[in-house]
Amino acid sequence: MKVTYNWLKKFVDIRISPQSLAAGLTMAGLEVVALEKAGEDFVLEIEITSNRPDWLNVLGVAREVSAIYGLKLKSPVFRAAQSKAAAAYPVKISVADKKDCPFYSARVISGLKVGASPQWLQKSLAALGCRSINNVVDITNYCLFELGQPLHAFDLDKLHQGEIKVRRSRAGEKLITLDGQNRVLDPGVLVIADSDRPVAIAGIMGGAETEVTLDTRNILLESAVFNPVLLRRTKQRLGLQSESAYRFERGVDLGGASAASVAAQEMILKLAGGKPAGVKKAGTAKTASQKINLETAYLNKLLGTAISVTQVRQILNRLELPTKAKSKNVLTVSIPSFRQDLKQPVDLVEEVARIYGYERIAQTLPPVKPVIASRNQQEVIGQIKNILNGLGLNEAITYSLVDRSLLKQSEISPDTGIVAIANPLSSEQEVLRPALWPSLVGAVAYNLNQQQEQVSLFEVASVFSGLDHSVAEEPLLGIALCGVKSFFTKNGLTRDEFTLLHLKGILETLLSRLGIEGFDLIAREDQRVNIIINQKPAGFLLELTPRILQAFEIKNRRVVLAQLNLERLLEAMNLGTRFREIPKYPSIIRDISFVMQEDFSVSEMLAAIRSGGRPLLSRVEIVDYYQGKQIPSGFRGLTVSCIYRQLNRTLTEEEVTPVHNGICSLLTEKFRIKLR
Amino acid sequence: MDLKTVQAQVDSDLARIVSQQDLEDLRVKYLGRKGLIAQLTGSIPGLPVEQRGSFGKEVNALKNKLLGLLAEKEKSFSLPQEDLNPGRFDMGMPGIAQELGHRHPITQIIDEICRIFTRMGFAVVSGPEVETEHNNFTGLNIPLEHPSRDAFDTFYLKDYNKLLLRSHTSPAQVRVMQTQKPPLAVVVPGRVYRPDAVDASHLFMFHQIEGFLVDEHIRFCDLKGVLELFARSIFGPEIKMRFRPHFFPFTEPSVEVDISCIMCRGKGCSVCGRKGWLEILGAGMIHPNVFIQVGYDPKIYTGFAFGMGVERIAMLKYGINDIRLFFENDLRFLKQF
Repeated sequence: MKVTYNWLKKFVDIRISPQSLAAGLTMAGLEVVALEKAGEDFVLEIEITSNRPDWLNVLGVAREVSAIYGLKLKSPVFRAAQSKAAAAYPVKISVADKKDCPFYSARVISGLKVGASPQWLQKSLAALGCRSINNVVDITNYCLFELGQPLHAFDLDKLHQGEIKVRRSRAGEKLITLDGQNRVLDPGVLVIADSDRPVAIAGIMGGAETEVTLDTRNILLESAVFNPVLLRRTKQRLGLQSESAYRFERGVDLGGASAASVAAQEMILKLAGGKPAGVKKAGTAKTASQKINLETAYLNKLLGTAISVTQVRQILNRLELPTKAKSKNVLTVSIPSFRQDLKQPVDLVEEVARIYGYERIAQTLPPVKPVIASRNQQEVIGQIKNILNGLGLNEAITYSLVDRSLLKQSEISPDTGIVAIANPLSSEQEVLRPALWPSLVGAVAYNLNQQQEQVSLFEVASVFSGLDHSVAEEPLLGIALCGVKSFFTKNGLTRDEFTLLHLKGILETLLSRLGIEGFDLIAREDQRVNIIINQKPAGFLLELTPRILQAFEIKNRRVVLAQLNLERLLEAMNLGTRFREIPKYPSIIRDISFVMQEDFSVSEMLAAIRSGGRPLLSRVEIVDYYQGKQIPSGFRGLTVSCIYRQLNRTLTEEEVTPVHNGICSLLTEKFRIKLR
Repeated sequence: MDLKTVQAQVDSDLARIVSQQDLEDLRVKYLGRKGLIAQLTGSIPGLPVEQRGSFGKEVNALKNKLLGLLAEKEKSFSLPQEDLNPGRFDMGMPGIAQELGHRHPITQIIDEICRIFTRMGFAVVSGPEVETEHNNFTGLNIPLEHPSRDAFDTFYLKDYNKLLLRSHTSPAQVRVMQTQKPPLAVVVPGRVYRPDAVDASHLFMFHQIEGFLVDEHIRFCDLKGVLELFARSIFGPEIKMRFRPHFFPFTEPSVEVDISCIMCRGKGCSVCGRKGWLEILGAGMIHPNVFIQVGYDPKIYTGFAFGMGVERIAMLKYGINDIRLFFENDLRFLKQF
């Protein structure tokens, strides 16, 4: 909203520069977002918060200036020029529903001469970005900007039967609005109609047929108050914005409607001549006067200040809020009709604080009483992220809203259980994602296009699935690996393409760091590997099929993915480490190198060693593997290290040898290994 | 013989050693059966009684020191020869290390902010992204069909009446207060959604951090103190702040907090729109209507709440000029943080 420096001066004797004024207003809650010189004057553009419709006019801002600087406000007084009874024009007004329009006044001025506005008026409006039309229309706009009351002048002679009906529109009714648009009105739009047709969309825009032109001789000047909610809905439905609608939807002062009408009439008589020819009103402009009791002790307790009753009174009075002492520390504050935002004592506390100055209120640190000081979930997630960072993975953040086509590309059904957005702005915001990995694959593809050799990403985010009456939200950890990891050894560069085993290694490290021991990977038919934590499914590993890779336009690369249920991870986590005695007695290590057919399961082979080695065998691990030259195809070369140890004594070779030989023959019999 | 002279001699002799043989000769010279130390020890009985004790101690000390020095020399001779040749590595060659991954700048900022508040005693809590209309609006004193809702333009869910994507993190206030009693000191980071047209400073998804403190005697001056401490912690101790009155339906009095521009230090530049100030968060004393909705007695409890946009703070802190960069996940971007 714009006001000018000089226009404000009409109501308060401002002695400070426009710049200081702008700063002062900003610090009182009327943020001046632009200050521009316009000829002799300055235009202040102010961002008005939606709770203060009373600031949407020059007088309202002037009232604020008077309060901030302790200056007297020169409130204008308007007295209606009396019209002679004989001159009264016969107009009829009716309001169908008072809820739609609590007050309507129609003031008639006859025999006027419409023409150009004087320079000063044109300039005043131009400074606020309003185009001059003619003196009558300009005057209505001038009063709108100065007093905040939207007014509308109709050419009375074009109103059929000289009649005004405030009613809802009927099916099929049409209206050409002042912007030249021919509008077919939906039924139920609040309109101003004459005896047989709509002539304006109430509070939003007038009609072209009844507008005031240079030929107009008699006018009907409307000053009314319309239901803000209704207006807001109509405005949104029609996609129409106007200075008048802007004010009505925020709430126009019921108590100011008559005064504005009188003020406009006064100006019209002065600038366009004519005679007052009666006024008709419907509804009442009176509001129930509200009173709020404000305790100074409450105010000071809430603010942490020691503002005296006298000071409080002074501030409120300067804001034109009359006060009466109820008792020593309690003020009864009368709320004027233009301050509908003031509903309870706390609202008055803000008023006092604003004018007193937020800057003058001290800064203190409150006693904070923490309820729980234990490690929170956020910290644990942070720890997970740190582990993954340590393993070389980068954290990504992708959108939770996705395009249905992303799901199709990923061969996820884009319909079943999918939660759709009712009002997306584009197809990228169509649905809430049911899985994390498609977005990560998208990020991988993006980076491959940027010529990245290796992309390793993870993300912690929620996915969504639609239930009968609610939406389930499941936080996940997603990992995507793609490309060739290259790293130096002392012999030079080594290159290594990411596979599911890399993903397995990352998971093992992560889970072991989180103290999760009961963890298993079980391959399924469909390329996926289920992750089982403490016997419960906790997610999957996945290598993308060539078809999906193609859908994402990823060429000559493999992409491996993991998706883990974060809550399962957090519940299985056990960071309560217990110290285990460092073994006092040495171990005996025996390696077995052999080739084994690929058809045999490595996990089963290791499990067989473990059970066969009991109780002397403490650990078994694969220390080397090889496939390629020297190994027949369909076989793999493995070296398994068996570590024998007892906690309470030193083992002897004599004890270990038979056990180890037993393991070797077990492997030969059951897994048909060939020792190398 | 004077002990000091012996000491000096030892030092110069040690410096001259280049081979194992030199070392052996030196050992004989000092520690041999007829070596200097033996001679000195032998001279003790000839000394006056009162000097014997102290002289004996000094000789002993010298002997121990010599043993130490010789052992050290000995060790240096026994080191493998190749390790004495650092020139084998050209330090211009690339170093070898495991490459670390990077944390996303947004979560870095979130973690930093949460850490500041947890140090003050706040707890970190999370809330769902799919919310009810009640928690997002009504419970926060935002009436239906009021222009103040425009500021919180919202994505609604198809087929789920009254469910929406939270347009701010404030619904977490309602959730926490519905289930817990004061005192409360909580921060809630998370994703929020608004149907905004996408450009360099607007996206349909971004992050916010909500915080609130509720107890029996929480005052506006406490809000100022906590937020001031926060801003100095994250932007540096020299930052200036201002508290401007503002309007939020869920707080009264409400305030917008500006910091002096971190680019131009308040002189006015393109980052701050020549104002010298940057708006970083909104706050206020929790509105009594919000307390009433969750069954708290506003006569007993007061509190403040604040909310801030994480992307905005990250953009200011890192000098990022396009919000879309955060979610492109370009490794050339991510690896800078």
